[in-house]
Amino acid sequence: MGKHILILGGGVIGLSTAFACAQRGHRVTVLEQGRCGGQASGAAAGMLAPFSENGEGPDDFFRLCLASLQLYPAWQQTVKEVSGRTFEYSHTGSLNVVYHESDRLALAGRAAWQERFGAQPQIVEGADLHRLEPALSPAVHAALYHPDESHIYAPDYVLALEEACRKSGVQIVDHLGSVRVIASPDHRACAVDKKGVTYEGDCLVVCNGAWAGELQEALGLQIPVYPIRGQICAYELPAPGSVRHMVFGSQGYVVPKANGTLVCGASEDVAGFDTAVTERGIQRLLNWNHRLYPFLEELEPYHRWAGLRPATQDGYPLLGRLSQQPAILMAAGHYRNGILLSPVTGQAVADLIDDRTPQVSLARFALERFTRQPVR
Amino acid sequence: MTTSQQQAGDPLIIGGKTLSSRFFLGTGRYPNPYVQNEAIRVSEAEVLTFAIRRINLEEPEDDAILHHLSFKPFTYLPNTSGASNADEAIRIARMARASGLSDWIKVEISANERTLLPDPLETLKATEVLAAEGFTVLPYTSDDPILCKRLEEAGAAAVMPGGAPIGTGLGILNPYNIGLIVEEAGVPIIIDAGLGSAADVVQAMELGVDGVLMNTPVAKAVDPVRMAQAMKLAIEAGRLSYLSGRIPKKRYATASSEYEALKVK
Repeated sequence: MGKHILILGGGVIGLSTAFACAQRGHRVTVLEQGRCGGQASGAAAGMLAPFSENGEGPDDFFRLCLASLQLYPAWQQTVKEVSGRTFEYSHTGSLNVVYHESDRLALAGRAAWQERFGAQPQIVEGADLHRLEPALSPAVHAALYHPDESHIYAPDYVLALEEACRKSGVQIVDHLGSVRVIASPDHRACAVDKKGVTYEGDCLVVCNGAWAGELQEALGLQIPVYPIRGQICAYELPAPGSVRHMVFGSQGYVVPKANGTLVCGASEDVAGFDTAVTERGIQRLLNWNHRLYPFLEELEPYHRWAGLRPATQDGYPLLGRLSQQPAILMAAGHYRNGILLSPVTGQAVADLIDDRTPQVSLARFALERFTRQPVR
Repeated sequence: MTTSQQQAGDPLIIGGKTLSSRFFLGTGRYPNPYVQNEAIRVSEAEVLTFAIRRINLEEPEDDAILHHLSFKPFTYLPNTSGASNADEAIRIARMARASGLSDWIKVEISANERTLLPDPLETLKATEVLAAEGFTVLPYTSDDPILCKRLEEAGAAAVMPGGAPIGTGLGILNPYNIGLIVEEAGVPIIIDAGLGSAADVVQAMELGVDGVLMNTPVAKAVDPVRMAQAMKLAIEAGRLSYLSGRIPKKRYATASSEYEALKVK
């Protein structure tokens, strides 16, 4: 028999967790303080790029990202079928561009370890690079090409997820203002909204991203999650296909979308919970992006927006079950990778709820790792 | 006693500049800018290092990392990481200076992607050329005492032998060599790379080095901000211990109060 699962937060992590749990036959209620997908999820550029986002080496976080990339083909298909909605899922591949010969060593190092994980990275330069991406600036010295990386159109994906949840019987309660989690001694989970309405379930999954830190006291846990604002802009491309790949550089990225737009991001601002778009923030993007594509110098972005990413103290998400209160689970702090990590997070949480061992190790993401009490 | 008071009688001077801290910190690999800023703030480091190839040299004040660092005047030590020979290192050092970032340069030349160990011959060549061009040159090098002396003679403003390969956290693999390097040195010696924890830092400082440069042990700690503070305190503790002169090691116990002195008279 299915359990009743409460999910705190209707962002991409909360919705995919809800969907995964509903697919396994559980009854699910999502509690959202505003509207679903209203924060980091809807603001994301939707890159599914574990190799580009993890340049340093194959740690557990990279493995989590890679596992999620591999889940995507089947996962996005299910979301589309159940929701009856569609969204862009493009296999453009990616280029990580560099400007100096001294970047070669680092590119070679990355290619060497990433090859061991089934990627087919290639260092491309000169005429080969020009053939692959004709409009790229001639100042680019070389690029690491990852044919397997893809991207989705995040706002449409989140809408489809929400619809897939509803069609699977998930109850979504939104615009709740704030929701308090009540510690429950009888191994059940309980939350209360601003109006005093109480929600009870067999367990509760905390998926409220940048706001997870508000639960520190209720959960008796150090939750060092900080909002990092990302400012993004989008252009209408002058001709379809003028940008062919996702392109990453040391200062940011661009992603060409199927609707003929080019998304350029993103700042990483320390600005608390302020979601304002600033002149300086966007100007920084405009000042460098023509070094990727010179034609961008002539264009003005038609849209500028911002979202808050949930960053953690060590850069890894909080993903697992609370050992002191087993009815409480958490999946938060996905920072720049929430869209990519949504399938694996949903599956992993559903596995924990079903007392199954998740397919990837979650040890590195343990909820208690920041809570070190001195022994007296 | 505050750090500045300790420094008053024991300054660290490199290239004619008196530094407020013996802690040199890298700006790479932090989980996010908030943690990076807080770690740098708490470290009280004045000298910050970063890879020139990663920087927006056309508009350094706009750079993805540097634009977060406006809360205090820092001394930038751009590095040539990724260069595999002297010519490459010299080229990017000149680009960094031309951008107005700094005329300090950390020469870092690695020819092996697995160990990233410095190429000593190319490092010596680049140090000679850049010092002659008026750069304040701080070469990252292997822990060979003769090589370190040769770098000093080539014009290095400080010499930075590694404790262990970059990012390994193995600590000081050859304390004997580091001790010899310090004994022979006529310029400041900074331990650069390979340290893992505060214990390694104290060991380095007790060996008499003048400062410590690190990045990974802070940036990749579970709590980078607290680790930055731990490293800062370890540098201070190690320096004070070095200056204070430790007791000789003995085989058997020596009572801190003699029996006679304890008798009631």
